[in-house]
Amino acid sequence: MSDRILGVIGLSLALFFAVSAALIQESFMTDAIGPKAFPYIISAVVALASLVFLFSPDPEPAWPAFNRLAEIGFAVAVSFLYAWVLPELGFLISTSLAAGYLSWRLGTAPLPAVAVGVGTSVGIYVVFRLILGLSLAEGPFGF
Amino acid sequence: MEILSSLGDGFAVALTWQNLALALLGCLLGTIMGALPGLGPSNGVAILIPLAFTLGLGATPSLILLTSVYYGAMYGGRISSILLNIPGDEPAMMTCLDGYPMAQQGRAGEALALSGVASFVGAFFATWGLVLLAPQLVKVALLFGPAEYFALFTLAFATLGGVASSNQAKSAFAAALGLGLAMIGVDQQTGVPRFTFGEVHLYDGIDFLVAIVGLFALSEVFVFLEHRETDPSKATEGKMTIGRIYPTWSMLKSCIPTMGRTTVLGFIAGVLPGAGASLGSFISYSVEKRLVDKEGTFGKGDPRGVAAPETGNNAAAGGALVPMLALGVPGSGTTAVLLAVLLALNITPGPLLFQNNPDVVWGLIAALFIGNVMLLALNIPMVGLFTRVLLVPPRILMPVVAMISFVGIYGISGSSFDLMVMVGFGVLGWVLRKLDVPLVPIILGVLLGNEMESNLRRALSISNGDWFALVDSWLSLTLWAIAIVGFVLPIFLGHAVRRKMKSEQEEMIGD
Amino acid sequence: MIRTTILATTLVLATGPLIAQGFTPEQPECIAPANPGGGWDFTCRQVGKTLQDLDLIPGTMQVVNMAGGSGGVAFAEVVNKRHDENDLIVAASSATSTRLAQGAFPGNTMADVRWLASVGADYGVIAVAADSEIETLPELMDMIKNDPTSIAIGGGSAVGGWDHLKVLIAAKEAGVEEVRRVKYIAFEGGGEAVTQLLAGSLQAFTGDLSEATGFMESGDIRVLALLAPERLEGEFADLPTAKEQGIDAVGANWRGFYVPGGMSDEAYDYWVGALDTLYQSDEWKTVMENNGLAPLDLQGEEFQSFVQESVAEIEELSREIGIIQ
Repeated sequence: MSDRILGVIGLSLALFFAVSAALIQESFMTDAIGPKAFPYIISAVVALASLVFLFSPDPEPAWPAFNRLAEIGFAVAVSFLYAWVLPELGFLISTSLAAGYLSWRLGTAPLPAVAVGVGTSVGIYVVFRLILGLSLAEGPFGF
Repeated sequence: MEILSSLGDGFAVALTWQNLALALLGCLLGTIMGALPGLGPSNGVAILIPLAFTLGLGATPSLILLTSVYYGAMYGGRISSILLNIPGDEPAMMTCLDGYPMAQQGRAGEALALSGVASFVGAFFATWGLVLLAPQLVKVALLFGPAEYFALFTLAFATLGGVASSNQAKSAFAAALGLGLAMIGVDQQTGVPRFTFGEVHLYDGIDFLVAIVGLFALSEVFVFLEHRETDPSKATEGKMTIGRIYPTWSMLKSCIPTMGRTTVLGFIAGVLPGAGASLGSFISYSVEKRLVDKEGTFGKGDPRGVAAPETGNNAAAGGALVPMLALGVPGSGTTAVLLAVLLALNITPGPLLFQNNPDVVWGLIAALFIGNVMLLALNIPMVGLFTRVLLVPPRILMPVVAMISFVGIYGISGSSFDLMVMVGFGVLGWVLRKLDVPLVPIILGVLLGNEMESNLRRALSISNGDWFALVDSWLSLTLWAIAIVGFVLPIFLGHAVRRKMKSEQEEMIGD
Repeated sequence: MIRTTILATTLVLATGPLIAQGFTPEQPECIAPANPGGGWDFTCRQVGKTLQDLDLIPGTMQVVNMAGGSGGVAFAEVVNKRHDENDLIVAASSATSTRLAQGAFPGNTMADVRWLASVGADYGVIAVAADSEIETLPELMDMIKNDPTSIAIGGGSAVGGWDHLKVLIAAKEAGVEEVRRVKYIAFEGGGEAVTQLLAGSLQAFTGDLSEATGFMESGDIRVLALLAPERLEGEFADLPTAKEQGIDAVGANWRGFYVPGGMSDEAYDYWVGALDTLYQSDEWKTVMENNGLAPLDLQGEEFQSFVQESVAEIEELSREIGIIQ
């Protein structure tokens, strides 16, 4: 079933890709085959592969139970949130929070998880900012 | 003999205490950057350019520092591939396929030491290739016109099919997905934006680093979250056994033919501009799998599956210097950065470089030898140290990995948008893993997509739209033939083919 | 606007002025809108290095390569994301004004940025492989006239870009009727195009003199024509011009810089001054001589109107040749 769904998604993706390719605004002068041909070939390959999924699906994979899915969902949300607040809060604070959360959800007790978060954050800051000199996000406090 | 005396002069230039210290520093930093997901050889070199200039180094010392970083990163990428199933950089992706299973079987130390030796062999002989064959090799690069490049890229995808997954359709799907992602951005040929949907962030396309870190590193974190508590094998992973640190001689010996073949393959892939180290390791792995994987142990922790891509990508790293030095055409992202360094030092690579700046060239080559020996000497004793990473429980290790991935991307691009795209890739990676869609072809597609398309379009423009131009030379015909055989035969003949190729191979060795 | 300017000034005064002017860049950065090895990259690096040698900027100039869309990616980045930056200059050339003239940077016009100064001009060349049977430019053009599909010409700019346009100018002067049929193959840089010329995939190469120099000296390629009004002096004196072969085509690729549109006047004046000093220096004269750059000395307002004229000219030319409506 999962493979069949993948097949349907793949077919719609192929269609979407081909339609978007057809809508590419070509410039006044172009090469022999233009900027659309290769995307068409790609969408054909995606469509063909998707048809294979539809007609000869692999055995069903083991999808996790709902609570595990929710767990992953929350982690994804935290990751997005992290990307969002990083430039606002600065590197050290946001990273401590995100790393602490992940560590907690992976089975560390709450208090040690805070330590893991802060430790990770400071450790990375030392290596990347102070040793390698990369510019990490600067928050209101400059770190 | 003239070459050897030039090389001797090169060593005279390179062997000063300052240069040796720089090489050591470069090797260490390079290894670390290679091992950290998100920082690869090209970023590593780019990050250290300001350091080279602020230290006020001259041309040769700067090059020694930066090439040591380059080779170091090529070594370092394998460490996280083997220990964490997360490639440290894109050429190390294939090392995951057998390296991580070896680590799971408690053979992490062996895998690390073996891959260290394999890296050394690849890089060492490739550097000799660079010394002895550079002028002739330029001619090899000149055999490849746009049609041949297109055939070569097709071959890479076609042969990858049977390697990364048992289901050819899923490999093809993944490859097409990667190619499709590569199409996003401003078209290189005509300058029109494609698939950007008016989003300015997408104009310069999706960085393959964002894709690779998302697909591999973040999805790994999600896998751990999924299996916490429920799956005993994952839960005990923190107490993974380390086993012996050094491989047995018989294991090394069994890998020697593999290393020999993949040195040649990787080196040639490196010499072709636009192909580079990633293609070197992909082709090395898939060809070796076709040739020697009689029992189907590749992908389940076969040492040869670790040796092949590591030899291949390090050989390619050496090979990629050939077109960069002799033609001024960078063969990979890293050599593009190195080329920029040379130009900044007022050295113009090109056909006259060997005559005009012999001290720089030979000093550089000597530095490659020195860096390579140093890396072997550094890496083998440190295997024990690296394997300790496995003793860190995942509940601490995984958050660290996730955060390093974020930092690697953010530190380079400074863009929250890239981070969000990366999280998107993480989710995609998790779903695709569930569905047994291999991730490697996606990265290959993102890496090679634009070059592949450009060469197709150039070939057809030259031929005035005649598609037969794609098969118009013996070289492209050969490449197409291999590509078709490589794609079709596994579907119909499966096991029988491998056995046949294996026996042919033995005949060849017998000759 | 005024407030930020005053603020910037006081800030510099408070920290002690490095140079007598009101503005000094903290982290000078130059965007080369192409891969390393091309003309823009060369412009950034040479100018950056010379500025540093002359102590006109503090520290080193950081060069960022931002390839894509023949400069369109970098242009969009500067307009959309880095509009207010004072430390940033971007390498530009005739290729940039060509794309702007043809409206090929979607949604952007030349007024979106401020034009800074030129540092010289690079004449175009049309070259063939050393073993080619084609000896002169008229010969090449005759072959194109007879069968435009028989000659593939490669260059480092996208279709319709400056390298392409140069060939079209020459073809038009040579009497090729339908110049749009001239077969042009786009590469990511001059280096790649020359490699494919040597590999035999192409019959001719169009580019700038600086891109061809290395391969010319090594004897791998032969320059059929230099698209200059008259022969250059010194090292390049034996290159024949197109004009002396009866084809009155001139293609000068100016090299210079633009800066973000929102750059403060202080910063703009600072950069204009720095590049003026650079241009007058002996160091820069040597760089120009070594790389076959011809003089073109324009800064600030003068340069702004020069680019404006150049854009108008190319627009007209493109329309005349028939590559835009």
